[in-house]
Amino acid sequence: MAYQQGYGGGGYGAPRQPQPGADQQFLWGVFQRVDKDRSGQISCDELQQALSNGTWNPFNPETVRMMINMFDRQNKGTINFQEFGALWKYITDWQNTFRSHDTDNSGFIDKNELKNALTAFGYRFSDYFYDILLRKFDRQGKGNVAFDDFIQCCIVIQTLTSSFRQYDTSMQGRITISYEQFLAMVFSIKS
Amino acid sequence: MAYPGYGYQGQQPYGAAQQQPPQQPGGYPQPQQQPGGYPPPQPGAYQPQQPGYGAPGGYPGQQPGYGYPQQQGPPGCPPGIDPSVWQWFCAVDADRSGKITALELQQALTNNDWSHFNAETCRLMVGMFDRDHSGKIDIHEFAALWHYIQQWRGVYQQYDRDHSGRIDANELHNAFNTMGYRLSPQFSQLVVTKYDIQSRRTLKFDDFIQCCVLLKSLTDTFKQKDAAMSGSINVSYEEFMSMILLNLIV
Repeated sequence: MAYQQGYGGGGYGAPRQPQPGADQQFLWGVFQRVDKDRSGQISCDELQQALSNGTWNPFNPETVRMMINMFDRQNKGTINFQEFGALWKYITDWQNTFRSHDTDNSGFIDKNELKNALTAFGYRFSDYFYDILLRKFDRQGKGNVAFDDFIQCCIVIQTLTSSFRQYDTSMQGRITISYEQFLAMVFSIKS
Repeated sequence: MAYPGYGYQGQQPYGAAQQQPPQQPGGYPQPQQQPGGYPPPQPGAYQPQQPGYGAPGGYPGQQPGYGYPQQQGPPGCPPGIDPSVWQWFCAVDADRSGKITALELQQALTNNDWSHFNAETCRLMVGMFDRDHSGKIDIHEFAALWHYIQQWRGVYQQYDRDHSGRIDANELHNAFNTMGYRLSPQFSQLVVTKYDIQSRRTLKFDDFIQCCVLLKSLTDTFKQKDAAMSGSINVSYEEFMSMILLNLIV
């Protein structure tokens, strides 16, 4: 199962249970291998090359960009070693989540598994909505969702939900928004 | 002003995919008007931007030994298809499958600065023109797409008032305004900030198309819910999520 590795490109696997002491040293080794141009910073391209989604297709560039943006505190479009540590933990957490919901160990999440995963996160959606999700995030056209697309799917849902909540102050599950507010919400989620 | 909330003025809805491409103000010759399909020695500053003209590596006519007249493109050009469009199609259809993917399309489309179109815009284009939902486009769909992009190019150049080759927030605001969208200058600022990954405070051609198409489809979605045309809507959580997800290019 290639997706377990996370770092498929270089042939080194993600740590199962990193030892506290060896942790930094291990991370430094990984960082140096990902940082191909030795700039001390990891770019979207470098990260994309280092990540594997369990298939031969390249890791979803949108997911890479979203993750870099999330941990790039100085808004420079790249991440340094310190930020990389946080990103590494984030990816490992996603791997564990993905693996625990991929109950048939196929390396992909099907509609049912996606439903179980999002329900476990606390979301309640109709069956119709899961069809939309699957159609959108099944980038490889296989009727299921790969690891990288799963991360993107979850981040998008999370972002949209928190935008919705900002307007739903009374927790009614309904909001009233103007045309421009609506547009701005959508354009804002572009990474 | 049939639609006060949105400021539609009965103009052509820009960004409407196949049905209503934006009006091109003219001035830039279409490929079929050019003899031989080679780049015309245009004095215009935008000549190299036309997709397919002189882009490195992708011009079969320049390769020796193809054995067909350069004027006609590769053999087998279907009737009704511009030979230069056919030439481009064949150049990017690397596996000769007769269909091209979004990835192959990326090789055919270039911005002003010669950079290839971003992957998202290519996926968006394939999604718009791929009528049989195969995820790929054939030569006829490609020809329609090509024409559509040429028209967008005209629009882009029209709004690039300072001829910088890029559209800034001010120019974008004017563009939206002229297209009939009534939106604040802050909105254009937001769009530019979001799309501009190189921090140049401007939009490239591919980003411009992408955001105009997205704006159009979101406006349509919003209007569907806003039956009273009040300019605001009341929606449930799942309605809201579906509205956005369906329009999102992922």
